[in-house]
Amino acid sequence: MIENLIHMNGYGLFVWLSFGLVLVSCSLVYLKAKKTLNKYEKEYLAELKTLSENEKNEVLTNSKVAQQVLATNSKAN
Amino acid sequence: MFKFFAQSNVYFFIEKIIKFINSIFFLILIIGLTFSLILSPPDFLQGDSVRIMYVHVPSAWIGLACFSFIAILSIFNFIFKIKNFYFINKSLAPIGLLFTCLAIVTGSLWGKPTWGTWWAWDARLTSMVVLMFFYFFFLLTIKFITNQQLANKVSSIIAIVGSINLPIIKYSVEWWSTLHQPASIKISGSSTIHSSMLLPLLAMLLVFLLYCALIFLMKYKTEIIRIKKKTLKKYD
Repeated sequence: MIENLIHMNGYGLFVWLSFGLVLVSCSLVYLKAKKTLNKYEKEYLAELKTLSENEKNEVLTNSKVAQQVLATNSKAN
Repeated sequence: MFKFFAQSNVYFFIEKIIKFINSIFFLILIIGLTFSLILSPPDFLQGDSVRIMYVHVPSAWIGLACFSFIAILSIFNFIFKIKNFYFINKSLAPIGLLFTCLAIVTGSLWGKPTWGTWWAWDARLTSMVVLMFFYFFFLLTIKFITNQQLANKVSSIIAIVGSINLPIIKYSVEWWSTLHQPASIKISGSSTIHSSMLLPLLAMLLVFLLYCALIFLMKYKTEIIRIKKKTLKKYD
């Protein structure tokens, strides 16, 4: 059964290459997207930390996004 | 109505949706792969090579759907000048390009055992390559034009002009004599595909759609942070 699954009556190379190609390229795009997102979140957080306490409070009060990034990062740490 | 698309409103839900997709994705992927590689029957003419359909067809559909969506948002962007649509398009385009390329490559891999050739310059294949080039131009515009307003305008024009190609892709197999087979699944009218093959196809489509949603949300989230990062600059 496994041999049948691998060879697929002579079409195995084409079928597995298609599925493999899709899997590899989708994984690479996923990793790239995740890496970029993490990079921007870290940079944003680092910039937020350089602000004075008053400025930081102002940003956090006005920006739901800043609150969310801070909350997510706190959980991750 | 468009306030719904406001970044601050959307951002809150993105994290939750990403978590939800992550929690169900692998289960659906395993179901889809089991059906398409093991449980579905071989075709009586094409044999097991028909299994390539389960990655080729959803890729082509998503490639087309993404560009249609980008074109529609570009038209709305021209009329209503909603900046957010530009960021949605920017996040969608790489996904569309990826799946258009995958549709072309897997189509070529399917073509070799079925038609006896990797490639033929027939109407369906050529129009898909044209779509790929429109995606390339769209993304190059966004990447290399630093003035965001200009990039928005030029990329919208590319998307609207490129949308002319979409009906050509759809009807190419009817308008011209092509190597590519006509559509087996029709929204209106009866489909000619058996349910034992339709089910795995729909399962794989669901897997691909979830993947697209995941990548889109991650890219859109990145765009939102990028914008918010710019607003921090005023404190420098």
